Amino acid sequence: MSKRQTDARASTPVIDDEETVGMVLEYELEAPPEKIWRALTIQEYRERWLPGSDLAVVEPMAEVTGEQICFRMRDSDPPHLESVVTFQLTPQGNGGTVLRVTHRLIDSRLVSPMPGAANSNEPVLMQAA
Amino acid sequence: MMENDIFKALADPTRRMIFEKLASGSMNASSLRDGVEISQPAMSQHLAILCNAKLVRQERSGRFVNYEVDPDGLAMIANWLAKYRAYWPARIDALKDLLKDMDQ
Repeated sequence: MSKRQTDARASTPVIDDEETVGMVLEYELEAPPEKIWRALTIQEYRERWLPGSDLAVVEPMAEVTGEQICFRMRDSDPPHLESVVTFQLTPQGNGGTVLRVTHRLIDSRLVSPMPGAANSNEPVLMQAA
Repeated sequence: MMENDIFKALADPTRRMIFEKLASGSMNASSLRDGVEISQPAMSQHLAILCNAKLVRQERSGRFVNYEVDPDGLAMIANWLAKYRAYWPARIDALKDLLKDMDQ
């Protein structure tokens, strides 16, 4: 059994080109994607690290089997902002997996119902995985 | 409409970067430019837009001007970011523990 450290590759939030505020974090995990997929999708396993009380809906919003899955989240603290978290799995050559966590606010109080901002070159639709 | 101002202010990646930097503490304009390729006038313009949207406010102390997340404005976004920045590393640690258990 390898004793190699499995810490985050980059645990600092970064910004990308999507429309709303949030964070993207990447972790290198010493487990194959199939195993992490089970930890994400089997409710009993998921509850042990991502409790349903932190989710707005315990059923995933969307998924691509074995690759990515989205959940809607609701902050338990006021003002209970709603967000979407997407987990993406990328297999690594060493048998491990990079888990990418993309977490964005989608709260209607923050996202304008306008058909698009002046400098937006993308549709306003949320990602549909 | 304030929400539209907020939306527009945060639709720009550079302004989101500025806002997220300020979410961890107040800073002056030159510290905000550290590690970012952006001119001083451009930074001033971004800061003005963030101030107009009431996301960020100026805080003067003597000759110095610092910028900070406006506590009356969208401090809720800053709080949210701070909370989940701490949340995910803890969740991933729990996931790692679970993955070890699943091996057995």
